[in-house]
Amino acid sequence: CDKNILDTTAYGESTSATFWRNGDDAVAAANAMYTLLREEDSYGHNENVFDNCADDIFRAGDHGYEEAMENFTMDASNYGVRAGWKNKYEMINRANAVLINVPGIEDMDETLKNRVLGEAHFIRAFGYWRFSVIYGGVPLILEDNIIESNFNVPKATLAEVQAQIESDLIAAVSLLPATHNSENLGRPNKGSANGLLAKLYLYQEDFDGTIAAGTEVINGPYPLADNFRDNFTPATENNPEMLFAAQGSDWVDNPQYFVTPRPWGGWDFHNPVQNVVDEFEDGDPRLEYSIYKPGDMVQRGPELTEFTADLTQTGFSLNKFTTFNDDGSLSNQANVPILRSADVYLLVAEAKIRKNGLGAGDDEINAVRDRVGLPFVSNAGMPELIHERRVELLGENQRHQDLMRWDKAGIVDIVEIYGEDRGQFDPVRVFVRPKNYYFPIPQNEIDLSNGVLIQNPGY
Amino acid sequence: LGVYEGRANVSIIIEAIGQDPVTVRGNITDSQGMPLSGASVQEKNTSNGAVADFDGNYTIEVSSSNAILVFSYLGMQTMERTVGQNTSINVQLEEDANFLDEVVVVGYGTTAKKDVTGAISSIKGDDFKNLPISGIDKALQGRMAGVQVVPNGGAPGGSVAIRIRGTGTVNNSEPLYVVDGIPTANIDGVNPNDIESIQVLKDASASAIYGTRAANGVVIVTTRKGKSGKLNMSVDAYTGFSNVGKTLDVLDAPTLAEIKRERYANDGIPVNPIWQDAQYQTQLTNWQDALFVTGKTQNVDLNLSGGNDYSTYLFGLGYYNEEGIIEKSAADRVSLRINSDHKIKEWLKIGQTMSLSSRTSNGFNTTSAQNGLIWSAIRFHPGLPIKDSDGNYSSNQISGEFGDINNPLFEVDIQDADRRDTRLLANITPEISITPDLKFKANFGVDYTILDQRSFRPQVLNQIRTTNENSANRSYDEQFSFLMEYFLTYDKIFGDHRIGVVGGYTQQSFDYQGFSASAKNLPDEDPSQRLLGTGELNNMGEYKAHDGLESIFGRVNYSFMDKYLLTATVRSDESSKFAEGNRTGVFPAFSLGWRVSEESFFDVPFMDNLKVTGGWGELGNQNIDRLQYLARISRGQRYSLGLDGSVDVVGANQSSFANTDISWETVRMTNFGVDMGFLDNRLTSNFNYFIKDTDDMLLRPPVIGSQGSNPSPYLNIGKVRNKGLEVELNWQDTKGDFGYSLGANASFVKNEVVKLVSGTFLGSSFYGRPNQEISRTYEGHPIGTFYGWRTDGLFQTQADIDAHAEQPGAVPGDVRFIDINNDNVIDDKDREIIGSPHPKMTYGINASANYKGFDLTMFFLGVAGVDIYNADRMQGLDASYPFNLYSDITGRWTGPGTSNEIPRVSTLRTNLNHRTSDLFIEKGDFLRLKNLTVGYTIPSDLTDKIGLSRLRFYVTGQNVFTITGYSGFDPELGLTDGNLQQNVDFAQFPQARTYLLGANIGF
Repeated sequence: CDKNILDTTAYGESTSATFWRNGDDAVAAANAMYTLLREEDSYGHNENVFDNCADDIFRAGDHGYEEAMENFTMDASNYGVRAGWKNKYEMINRANAVLINVPGIEDMDETLKNRVLGEAHFIRAFGYWRFSVIYGGVPLILEDNIIESNFNVPKATLAEVQAQIESDLIAAVSLLPATHNSENLGRPNKGSANGLLAKLYLYQEDFDGTIAAGTEVINGPYPLADNFRDNFTPATENNPEMLFAAQGSDWVDNPQYFVTPRPWGGWDFHNPVQNVVDEFEDGDPRLEYSIYKPGDMVQRGPELTEFTADLTQTGFSLNKFTTFNDDGSLSNQANVPILRSADVYLLVAEAKIRKNGLGAGDDEINAVRDRVGLPFVSNAGMPELIHERRVELLGENQRHQDLMRWDKAGIVDIVEIYGEDRGQFDPVRVFVRPKNYYFPIPQNEIDLSNGVLIQNPGY
Repeated sequence: LGVYEGRANVSIIIEAIGQDPVTVRGNITDSQGMPLSGASVQEKNTSNGAVADFDGNYTIEVSSSNAILVFSYLGMQTMERTVGQNTSINVQLEEDANFLDEVVVVGYGTTAKKDVTGAISSIKGDDFKNLPISGIDKALQGRMAGVQVVPNGGAPGGSVAIRIRGTGTVNNSEPLYVVDGIPTANIDGVNPNDIESIQVLKDASASAIYGTRAANGVVIVTTRKGKSGKLNMSVDAYTGFSNVGKTLDVLDAPTLAEIKRERYANDGIPVNPIWQDAQYQTQLTNWQDALFVTGKTQNVDLNLSGGNDYSTYLFGLGYYNEEGIIEKSAADRVSLRINSDHKIKEWLKIGQTMSLSSRTSNGFNTTSAQNGLIWSAIRFHPGLPIKDSDGNYSSNQISGEFGDINNPLFEVDIQDADRRDTRLLANITPEISITPDLKFKANFGVDYTILDQRSFRPQVLNQIRTTNENSANRSYDEQFSFLMEYFLTYDKIFGDHRIGVVGGYTQQSFDYQGFSASAKNLPDEDPSQRLLGTGELNNMGEYKAHDGLESIFGRVNYSFMDKYLLTATVRSDESSKFAEGNRTGVFPAFSLGWRVSEESFFDVPFMDNLKVTGGWGELGNQNIDRLQYLARISRGQRYSLGLDGSVDVVGANQSSFANTDISWETVRMTNFGVDMGFLDNRLTSNFNYFIKDTDDMLLRPPVIGSQGSNPSPYLNIGKVRNKGLEVELNWQDTKGDFGYSLGANASFVKNEVVKLVSGTFLGSSFYGRPNQEISRTYEGHPIGTFYGWRTDGLFQTQADIDAHAEQPGAVPGDVRFIDINNDNVIDDKDREIIGSPHPKMTYGINASANYKGFDLTMFFLGVAGVDIYNADRMQGLDASYPFNLYSDITGRWTGPGTSNEIPRVSTLRTNLNHRTSDLFIEKGDFLRLKNLTVGYTIPSDLTDKIGLSRLRFYVTGQNVFTITGYSGFDPELGLTDGNLQQNVDFAQFPQARTYLLGANIGF
C-alpha cells in the first residue's frame, strides 16, 4: 500500500517557516497592511461614521446603529464602535509581522529594507493614532505580544499610546524616502510620517512639535496640488499633496457608494447639512467641489442631470468622492484621502496661532486659500482657522475630532454647538463631557477579555 | 418501519366442484410484480408440494377443493389460500416484515435483526419510492427515531442537514454515508429510486467500526441488485405540479402611504412628498403573487434486471426534473446505475456497483436580509407595476424612500447562474472463500465528483442597486477519492456458540483541486456571448488539497444459545488532518444483548419477543479543516498604487494560527435498548435511551480583537452532551384482502453545551442591516439558543415610562423591555436566553392500507416544543425601514390602549423597538402531512392480457397540509450559520406543495 497517503502539503500557501525569504516577500507583507484600509469596517465606510457626529454631516443611511452614534445615545454594543476594532489590530499586527521578520532577511537590499520597515512603523503608528482619537487608551500590541501570543492585555494609557505613535513615526521619518517612484506612489513617505506627527503633537498641545514636523512637510516635496479637485480625481489622486490615502481601484466597498444618491447608484449616507453649506464664503469653489446642491448640473457619463433636493435626505450630497464612468455608472476608482498637505498647513497655522496669537498662522491659511482663489486673511485667529479647516476638509473625517480638540482647549463649546436645534437633520444632540470625548470600548471585547479590558468612563 | 404494502390478487375461475383431486395453476410474484422463481407451493399438512419455474409459474395437484395452499419464499411472508372452486391462484408475496428474521446491513457485513445489540434504524427503499424528492437525505425525514432532517429551504435541489442523535458538535455534524461499502460525505446524485434499504447506525457499538468518522452517526445505503430469474423491465414515471403553500399579508399601496406619513408625523418631521404623491398610492402589484409561479416535477425510471445462478445484474436509468415555484429555480438529475454480481468459481465471487449521475441546478439568494429574493418581494413597493408602460421593469430609483431593493421580477429576469455536479460512485468487491467459514474480501472504490459552476450578472443601471460592470464567473472543482479495503470474515457455529469475526485494513485518499476565474466588462451581454474570454480578466484562482486516512478495524459477534449476545468492535485510524505524531486514534466499543424471550421461564401473554441491550463506545470526528497544525501565509490581498491607482500590487499575510496539538473530537456514547414484539409480532416496539458526550470538541476561542482578524486555531476544549429517548412502534395486520399498518416514531433529545472556552459564548453571524445578534451558544444550554431582551407590552402613557426602569429614548407606544438585572436601567446587560431552536420532540407517523388493488399510504411529520425567531417579521413591522410592511402593522399603537404588542411607527430607532426580543419568538410546532399516496394496481389477469406483469397508477401529494400556529411561510427552517444559528426565519425559499400523478409498469 501507498505509505504516502497521509502526507499533506499546503499547496499554494507558504508557512511562517518558509516565508520571509527575500525582498519580494517583505514587500508583499507590507502591501498586505494597506488592504485593510479598503474594508467596509475601515475607510470603506466605518471610519467615516465616527465623523457623522460632527455638525456638518447627517448620517442619512439605513444603518440603525449610526443613528445612535450620531446622537451620542450609543452603548458599548453598538456595531459602529465594534466594527473597526479588529480591522485596526489586524493592520497593526501585519505591521508587527514585518517589524519582527524583515530585519532578519539576508537576501534583501538595505534601501528597500528601510522603506519596508518605515512603512510598517508608519502603519502601526497610524493604527494606534486612529485608536487614540476614537477610544483613547487601548491595549498596545507590539512585537513581543505577537512572539509570545499575548493578546489579552490591559489598556495602555492614552499617553503611552501616543508615545508609541510618536516613536514609530520618528522611526518612519528616518526610514522612509522623501518621495516614491511612480510605481510606488500611494505608499507613505517621509512627509506622511511628519504630517501625522504634526497632528499628534497638536492633539498633545505640543505646538513646537507641530510646527517643527509640519514645517518639514511644508518645506518638503509635498506642495498643494494646483487644483483642489485634483485630490479627488482618480487620474491625479496620488499627487504630491496626498500624504496618505486609502487607495481606490475596483474597490467594492468604496465610500463613493456611501455618499452618492441612491437613484444615481449610491446608498446615500453622510449627507451634508444646510449649516455647513452656509459656511462657505461666496465664490469659494470648494463648495462646488465638495457638495451637490439643488440646481447643480451634474455630468453623469453622457447625461447632464440636474441635482434635485429629493435625491437625498438633506437635499445635499457630498461629491468629493463621487465620480462617474463614461457610461454614467458610478466609478469605484476614487481614493479616500486620509492626510493631505493642506491639512498639515492648517495644523501648523493652528499651532502658531495658539502659540503666538493672532496672525501667526496667516501664511499657512493663505496658502490654502490662495489655491482656490480666495482673498487672503490677515491677523487670523482661531475663528478663521476653524472656518478654513471646516470648508477645506469637509467630509474628510476631521471635523468632530477638531471640535473635540478645540473644546478641550476651551476654544469652542462643543456642548453648545451640538445642543443647537438646526432642524430635522441637525437636531439637538446631548454631548456629555468628558464621556463623549471617546467612544466606548466594544462590549464584546470587554466580555472576551474576562475583566482585563476596562470600559471607558461613563459607558 | 416496514410500511406494509400487501397487494394480494386472487383470480377466481370456476371450473370444478367436489372432493376430487384438483389441479391448480398460477403465478407467484413479489409485491412489485416480479416473478419469484423457486418459490414453493405446499398443500397444507401434507408433503405434497411444487416449485415455481423461472417465470414464477407453478402447477400443483391437490387432494380436494378443501385443500389449503401454502406459498412461501425465502424472505417473504408465507401466504395461505383455500383452493375452493379456484383452479387458478396467482399470489403476490409480501416481503417478510417479521423484524426478527430481517437482515440488516452493518459496517463490513450484515447481521440478523435478532442478533443486533446496537441501535440501528432501517428503512426500505420502497417506503420512499417515487416521492418527489431530489435526494435520498430528504427521504429520511421523520422516518426513524433519532434521525432529524433539517431542510435548508425548499429550493429545487436544495440541501438538507441531517442530525443523528442531536447536534453533537458545533462543527460539522453531518453523518458519514456508506454507499454500497464506499464511505463518503454525502449521497448527492444517488437516485432515491435505486435504493434497496437504508440503515442508520446510531449508537457507538453499531458505528464504531467507522471510527474517526462515526461520531455523527453512519448512514448505510444499499442499492438494488438484480435477482436470478427472467429478465424484468420496469418503468416508473410521475409528473406533477407544485405551488407555494402560503404567502404573507403585506400592506397595499394606499395603506403603506398612510403609515409612512404617520411615521413622519410621529417624529414631528415633514412628510417626504413622495408619500403625498397620488401616483404611488394605487395598489398595483402583489409582488409575492407575481414572484411565485406553478412549479413542475417529473421523474422517469427505467430498470432492467435479471440473472441466473452465476450472474445477476441490474441496469437503471433515471431522470428527475423539478422546476421550482420561482421561475428559473430548477434542478434536474440524470442517473445511470449498473450493479452486478458474479460467481466465477465456487470459491470466487465478484460484485460491482456503479452510479453515474449528472445534476444541474440554478437558484436564487433567498437568505439575505439585504437583497434576498423573497425578502425583496415582501418589501418592494406595492404601488409600482411589474413593468412600466414602456416595458421596462419598474424601479425604486424613483425615490430613496422606497428602499434599496431591486425589482424582484427584474432580478428573476436577469438571473443567470447554474451549476452541474457530475459524480461517479463505483466499486468492485471480490470475495474469496478460503474455507466455507473463512472469507477474504476486498473493496476497491472510486468517488469522483466534478462541480462546475458559472454565473453572469449584467450591468444594471436602472435599478437602485446598480451593478456598474457586468461580470461572469466560472469555477470548476474536482474531488477524487480512492478506497482500498482488505478484510477477512469468519463465521462459525460450535454447538451453542455462534461466532462471527471480521477484521481488516482500509485506506482512503481524498484529492481536491479546482480553479475559478472571473471576467468583467464583457462587450456583448447576449446569452450566447457570456464567456469569460470575451471580457477583461478580473480574478483567477487555483487550489489543491489532499487528505488521507489509513485504518485497521475488527469486530467480534458472539452469541450463546441465541440468548446472550456480545458485539465488540475496535478501529484504529490514522488521519492526515493532524500533525505527525498525533495522527492515530483508537476507537473501541462493545455491547451486550439478552434475548429474554428465548429463556424457558419467559411466559408473558401476547408477548413474543423481548430483548434488552446495552452498549458503550468511543467514536471520533475528524471532519475539520486540514492543516490546522501549520501557520500559513496566503498571497492574494490586492492593493493599487501609482498616480492614478493603476499599479496593482499583491500582498501576503498570515492567514491562520497553528495548533500542533490539534486532535479528534471524541464522542463517548452509552446506549440502552429494549425490543419488544406482541401478538405474533404484529406489534413491535423499540426503545433506546442514550447519553452521547462529545469531549474534546474543537473550538476556536473567540478572537480577541487585539489578535486581529484571523480566527484563533481550533483547540480541543469543548464538551457537548446529548441525551435522548427514541421510540419506534409498528403495528401491521392483514384481514383477508385488507392489510394495513401503522407506525410511529418519536425522539426526545436534550442538547446541552457543557463546556466552551472558559467564560465565553459562541456568537453567531448577525442578521440584517442593524447587524442584530439573534443566537448565542452558552454553557449549560443548547447550541444556538435565541438571545435577547424580554418585553412587557408597550408603554401606554408617559406615566408608564416614568414608573419603569430608565429606558433611554422611550415614548408612549414604544416597547417596554424588562429590567432583567434589576439595575434600573435597560441596556445590553438585560439580555438573556429567550428561546431554543431545538424541538423537544420530533416525530413521524406512517399509515398504510391496502384492499384488493387499492393502496393508501400517509406520512405525517411533526415537531413539538420548539421556538422560531421570526426575523423577517421583526423587520416587517419596523417602520424605520423604507420598505413595505407586514399587514399586521395596521394593528400598531396609535394612542393609549390601542395596542400592547405592535409598537408605534417611527422613522427613528430611538427606542430600538425591533431589537432582538421575545416579541418575535413564535412557537414552531407543526404537524405536516408530508406525503399522501393513493394507488390502484390493475388486476394481473387484465395486465397479463396486455403483456404486463404489473400496472399501477397513483396520485401523491407532498406537503399536503400543515397544522401550525407559526405565522411565516414555512415552519421547517434550516441552519443559517452552521449549527450556531437555526430556526431563524430569513424569508427562505419555502417548501412547495406538490401533487403528482404516476404509474408503475412492470414488463
